[in-house]
Order: sequence, then C-alpha cells, then structure tokens
Amino acid sequence: MVVHAAELKQAAIQGLTHVTGADGLADFRAHARDTLAAVAFPDRKTEDWKYTSLKALEKDHVRVLAASTDTPALPDLGGTQVVLVNGQIPDLDSLALPAGVIAQPLSSHQDKATTDMVGPFTALNGAALSDGLLLSITAGADVDGLIHIVHVASGTQAASAHPRLVIEVGSNARVTLVEHYIGSSPILTNAVTRIDAHCNSQVTHYRLQSEGSEARHIGLLEFELARDARVTSFQFMQGCALRRNDVHAVMAESGSDLRMKGIFLARGKSHIDNHVCVEHRVPNCESDQVYKGIAGEHGRAVFNGRIHIHDGASGTNAELSNKNLLLSNTAEIDTKPELEIYNDDVKCAHGTTVGQMDATQLFYLRSRGISEIDAKRMLGTGFVNELLLAIPDDAVQAWVTPWLADALTEGL
Amino acid sequence: MSTQAELEKLVKADYAAGFTTDVESDTLPPGLNEDVIRFISAKKGEPQWLLDWRLEAYRKWQDMPHPNWAHIQHPPIDYNAVSYYSAPKSMADGPKSLDEVDPELLRTYEKLGIPLHEQEMLAGVQNPTAPVTGSSNVAVDAVFDSVSVGTTFKAKLKEAGVIFCSISEAVKDYPQLVKKYLGSVVPQGDNFYAALNSAVFSDGSFVYIPKGVRCPMELSTYFRINEANTGQFERTLIVADEGSHVSYLEGCTAPMRDENQLHAAVVELVALPGAEIKYSTVQNWYPGDEEGRGGIYNFVTKRGVCHDNAKISWTQVETGSAITWKYPSVVLRGDNSIGEFYSVALTRYKQQADTGTKMIHLGKNTKSTIISKGISAGRSQNAYRGLVRISPRADNARNFTQCDSLLLGDTCGAHTFPYIESRNPSATLEHEATTSKVSDDQLFLCRQRGIDTEKAVSMIVNGFCKEVFKELPMEFAVEAGKLLEVSLEGAVG
Repeated sequence: MVVHAAELKQAAIQGLTHVTGADGLADFRAHARDTLAAVAFPDRKTEDWKYTSLKALEKDHVRVLAASTDTPALPDLGGTQVVLVNGQIPDLDSLALPAGVIAQPLSSHQDKATTDMVGPFTALNGAALSDGLLLSITAGADVDGLIHIVHVASGTQAASAHPRLVIEVGSNARVTLVEHYIGSSPILTNAVTRIDAHCNSQVTHYRLQSEGSEARHIGLLEFELARDARVTSFQFMQGCALRRNDVHAVMAESGSDLRMKGIFLARGKSHIDNHVCVEHRVPNCESDQVYKGIAGEHGRAVFNGRIHIHDGASGTNAELSNKNLLLSNTAEIDTKPELEIYNDDVKCAHGTTVGQMDATQLFYLRSRGISEIDAKRMLGTGFVNELLLAIPDDAVQAWVTPWLADALTEGL
Repeated sequence: MSTQAELEKLVKADYAAGFTTDVESDTLPPGLNEDVIRFISAKKGEPQWLLDWRLEAYRKWQDMPHPNWAHIQHPPIDYNAVSYYSAPKSMADGPKSLDEVDPELLRTYEKLGIPLHEQEMLAGVQNPTAPVTGSSNVAVDAVFDSVSVGTTFKAKLKEAGVIFCSISEAVKDYPQLVKKYLGSVVPQGDNFYAALNSAVFSDGSFVYIPKGVRCPMELSTYFRINEANTGQFERTLIVADEGSHVSYLEGCTAPMRDENQLHAAVVELVALPGAEIKYSTVQNWYPGDEEGRGGIYNFVTKRGVCHDNAKISWTQVETGSAITWKYPSVVLRGDNSIGEFYSVALTRYKQQADTGTKMIHLGKNTKSTIISKGISAGRSQNAYRGLVRISPRADNARNFTQCDSLLLGDTCGAHTFPYIESRNPSATLEHEATTSKVSDDQLFLCRQRGIDTEKAVSMIVNGFCKEVFKELPMEFAVEAGKLLEVSLEGAVG
C-alpha cells in the first residue's frame, strides 16, 4: 500500500505538467504544487485514513481531465442552476443570478482560494485547478430561491476533475445553497468547497452526492462562522467505489450556531468515509451534529466525528450523535466520535450506536401482511426519517425522499 | 478552625509514598544490549529457552519504531540511560522465608500499609474452613525494584492447589505452565513496550488456579520502585483453569524524584472455559510535582483472553504517573464470554493519561461493558482511548460504553477517542460520552448545608466515580476513595 500511495503521488505530480489556466492563480498553483510535493499520500498507516484505502484509485485517476462539453440531464430543484462539468466553471456572464449574488472566477481573487486544511488531495486540487468559482452574497441580501450548484462527472475513462468553490455570505445575508454531485462516470472528483458565513448571516446548505457506483469522490468542505452566523447543513451521501468527505467547520466568532445533519449509505460494494471536525475556538457557540449511517451487502461506512474545544471557548455547547444500521455481516461500520476538550466550562456530549433492524418490529409489520422488502424499507425510512422531515425546502425534500427510498431498497 | 493550616499540611503531604528506602542494592549500570539480557537471565538462573525468548524479543524491539500516536508528549527516552536490573543486596542469596528478608524492606511495605508478615495476618484466620471475609485475608507478593521480596500465605494457597509466586520461581518450579502461557496473550513483538518488557522483564507474579477451584483469598501484588535511574519491567501471568475463579489486586508506588523513571509492564490473563478473573489496580506511582518535574512514565500492556463462558473484569484506579499509557484489553475468543472494564483516571499538575481499553469480540453472544471516568485538574491532559471490534463471527455481540469526563479548572484537557468497528449485523453497540465541570447547582446545595467547597467537590467527585468504585474489592475501594480525596486536595480553586 505504501508503494501504491507513493506511485499515485508521483503520477499526480507528473500529470500536472499540462495544467494551464487563468493567470491570476499562477502563484497559488505553484504553492499548491510545492505542498503536494512535500506531503505524503495516505496509506493504511495514516491514522486519518485507517479505514479507507486508495486502492480504488489507479494512476490514471489522478491524471487531470481535459474540459468536457457534455450536457447531461440535470435534476431540477427550481432556483438558479450553476453547472460545473468536470470541475470547469461555466461562462459566468451568461448566468442569470438572482439579486444579491455575484459570480466571479476565483482567478480574480487568488487570496480567497486558500483553505484551512491542506491535505494531499486539497493540494492536488490547488495544483490542478484551471479555475474556481467564487460566489459572493452581498451584505444584507435575502436571496430568492435556491442556488443549485451541480457538479457533473462526465467521461468514460479514469481521470480526475478538480472543482473548487468559494462562497462568501455577507453580513446579515440569507441564502440557500445546494451542492449537487451527479454523474455515472468512473472519474475521480476531487472537490474543495469553502463557505464563509459573515456576521449574522444565515446559510442553509445542502450537499447531495448521488454519483454512480463507479465514481470516486474525495471532497473537502469547510465552514467558517463569524459572529452570530447561523449555518445549517444537510448532507445526503451515497457510497461509491471510493467516497471520502472531510468536513471542517470553525466557529471563529462568538454567538455562532452550526447544525449539521447527514445520512450516509454504503450498499453493494460501495465505500463511504466521513471525517467531520467541528472546532470551537471562541466562547459561547453552539454546534449540533446528527449523522445516520446504513451499511449493507459488502458496503463499508466510516464515520469520524470530532469536536475540538480550544481553551478559550467557554460556554460552548456541542453535541454529536451518530447512529448506524448494519444490515449484513459482510458489511462494516467503523465509527469514532472524538472529543478533544481544553476548557471546563462546556457542555459536550456524543453518542454512537451500531445496531440492526429490530426483529420484533420486523415481525410486527410482517404479521400485518407487509412484505419483507416493504417492511425493511419502512424501518429503514423510519430510521432516517427525522432528518428527512427536518429539510426546510420542499424541492430538496421531494428529490431526497425517492432517492433515499431507492437507495434503501437496493439489493433487498 | 485551622482549616488553612490543615489544608497546607495535606497539600504538602499529598504523595505519602514518596520516601526512599535505604537498602544496599545490586544495580546493573545503565544501558541495554544483549549482554544485559544474558546477565538478567543468568542472575535468575533461567533455562535456555527463556533466554532465547528474551533475545528474540530484544531483536524485534530494535526494529520497532517508537510509538507516537497517543495523546501524550514527553522528551525522547534514552533507553541506554536506564538500568535494567536492580535488586536489594540482601536478596542476593535468596531468603528462605520472610524472616530472612531485610527488615528495612519489610518496614517499607509496613509504611505503605502492606502487611507482609503472615503471622500477623494469620491471626485473622483461626478457622481456615470458615468462609473468607475481612481485610486480613489477602495474600501478597511484593516486588521491590526488580525482584519479588516475598509472597505471603503460600502454604495456605497450596492447600487449595493455587500457585501464587514470583514469576522467577515459577520458571524454576513450573516451567511447563510458564512455557505454555508466557507470551500467548501478549506476544514478544506485540508493541514497542511489550517487546522491551519481554526482553528485560525482571520479575512479577505468577498465578495458576486449577480446574474448578475458587481461590480462597484475594491475591495481591505490590510494586515498588526504589532505586534511582532504574526502570521496572515486571511481568504478570495469571492462568485460571476451567471453571475457576480468582480476584487479583495490584498496587504501585515510587519515591519522589526529579527525573522520570520508566515502568513498562506486561500483564497476561488467560481465562479458560468457564473461568473468571477479576483484576483490580490502584496505580499510584509518583506523578511528578506541580511543574511536571519527575514522575513515572507508565507504559503498560495488559490483555486477557476469554475462552468459552469465561469472564475477565478489569478495574483500575489511576491517580499516579507522569504519563499513563495503558489499555487493559479483553479478547473475547470463546462463545458467551464477558469482558468488563471499569476505570477512574485522575490527572492533576502536568500529568498526562492516555488510557482505555480494547474489547475484541470474536465469539458468539459475547458481551462487554466499558465504564470510564476521567477527572482532570491543574494543567493535566486526560484521554480515553478505546476500541470495540465486532468480528463477522460474533453473532449477537453486545457492547455498552460510557465515558464521562469531569474537568476541574480551565487549564486542563479531557479527550475521548473511541474506535468502534462492527462487522456483524446482529451485534448491538452503544457508546456515549459526556464532558462537564462540577455543577454549580450541586456545589451550591452542598455549601448551603454547611459543607465546605473542598469537601463538597470531593463528595461530588466520589459520586461521579461510584460506578467504578463499587466494582473494587472492599479494602481497595476504601483506599481508592481516600487516594482520590488526597489527590484532589488543593486541586480545587
């Protein structure tokens, strides 16, 4: 495995030679390339990648993909659609954006492209970036409808796409964002998204990941919350050949409030790994996370939820709940809720369970003439329903509900 | 009231076991190489196979990287600055009975409150057939630096067929048993410190409980580091044969010194079908002073294997050591076996603890319970690190884990790193953790009833640990409660 990781890294660096693009990012790219050269690709000995191997990646997967002109069928959630095919930003002038939203190429604001966390794949994203998308919500704007950002993975051969999205939500602004990943191609999507919520802003964020089973996805999602900012993030994720999501949220100023709710599924032979870290750096912030996982057949679901409370962060209230359903004894669930606390004036709790469908509940439904498949689907839906019902936007709920029902019955 | 004066006295007397004993000792110069291992082995008159076993461990150890994954920080340890063997000189010829033991040594144990003298203790057991009760019924093996200085109640235990002696004696007297089980649970190359221990282990206790025997009394080992610049590497092996039962206690202290001393022990438990082993530890090695100077580096590997219907229960109260790195584990190999882990870890000053357990479920219908209570004060760091693994074969496995942390002061840290790996859909696992400080409401209630803050905090902390203390044998529970109280003196501002 160590050999494989080193070879991948070598291939990634070699694959960068033809990367060109907007000149505004030249320094950023060069810096990312240096970082990439300095960090090792993870192998099984890397603690953060203990349960996820890169063996689903071939050397071709780190080859940077040329632009594609495909226009696949897109899901319609209403609102404004921004489509990135294989990480390439669209023609920004032709976008019809609602009032208060400004789209710019990231190359015009190189300084905003940086992230807090820099791992090998984030560095690869930076080094391979042709251009990113910077969406700014002007201060005080109350944006109408959803902003539906669709990432399409297109292509039939192993290669990689590197989308980078930076969203700045100005003070007192309100916005609903949907990050939607689709496509049935075997390419590696190595995505980086950063959302900055300024003072007293309110962000509702959805992350829908429904790529096909052949897809490879490695993604970093970063939040930074300023004073009194409120962020609610819903994450619905389906396993694929390799899916690794890192979510890193920083409570940077007092009074901020973060809620994250997620459902992750690993059915068939799929793999999904979620690493979520919430960092409380300042006093009096609140965070609440609820994640539910389901693994069946040969699937493997990994969850690592970390709450880090710095020594100055008194008055913190942080909670994490991770419940998992294991449907088969060839599937596996690995969960690790971590607390790292350096302050006494806090209220912190986490809870984790791993269990199966309750035999008595199943019997109850069967005894009333409900088929086993239906009964299992009902119990599965019941398990995640509280998160489905919490979705405030009807269009998203209408998309998630059947998608989840399909995912739940798959293989039953 | 002279509370202030009393408090000061208590704070200063906080580490009561911090004295040194003036006995002449036979100490090997610092350094580690194959000759040192040969010397230790020869000194103990060990058979060739054991020397080979040690050398193999040493060779493995040399190739192992120093582990750095734990949530602890310490300057690199120079393994060549440690002396690997130290024995009180008067032990050189081996005492025939306790009467021949250096009275200075016996006084040490007396000071620590461990009565070694059988005669005194026998006074409590006039009728040997009567059911065993009371604190006087504890057989003790005392380990001073590298050697066992005496084991009490040997004869009485022998009547029941129980073997309880130092591991050096066991190698001579029961080589078959030792050869069969030594390293069967913690192999030589298991981890860095276990490999080091396997190479240089000097003494420790050996227990064998024959089939169907319920050990008539509590067995206990008391470890004491005395000599400066030495490390203590003891090895304990407990084998409970089919259907037997044993309760084993372990206590440790060391003098107050400015330099750090190394303690790397290995404990192996084997619970054969239907057997039950209860292993309790009160660890009170010198924790270092307020500035973090001195103290014991405690790197311990403890593991037990449960066969069918067997049960292993670990209970630990960890108040000492500058660094604690310890994960008593249970491999639930047999069907219907049970593993338990109850722990209280208290850290203060600049102590660092990274402790927890591993429960490996391999058999069907296996059950495990983990209750861990961490208390941090001062500028200490206290981490729970645990692993619960359910293998695909472990149908209907069940685990419950609870780890609670209590923070006293805003400069300490409490951390939780639980690994949960499930590969069987019929298994049920639950994990919950909370972190909080002593609640103002509880404090107010106590203060209102005329209980001073110090006492109130101590009461609340005691209540916080109750679930674990009730698992300890009675004499130990009292000691543990007192230890906690003393450790907390002055920690509450």
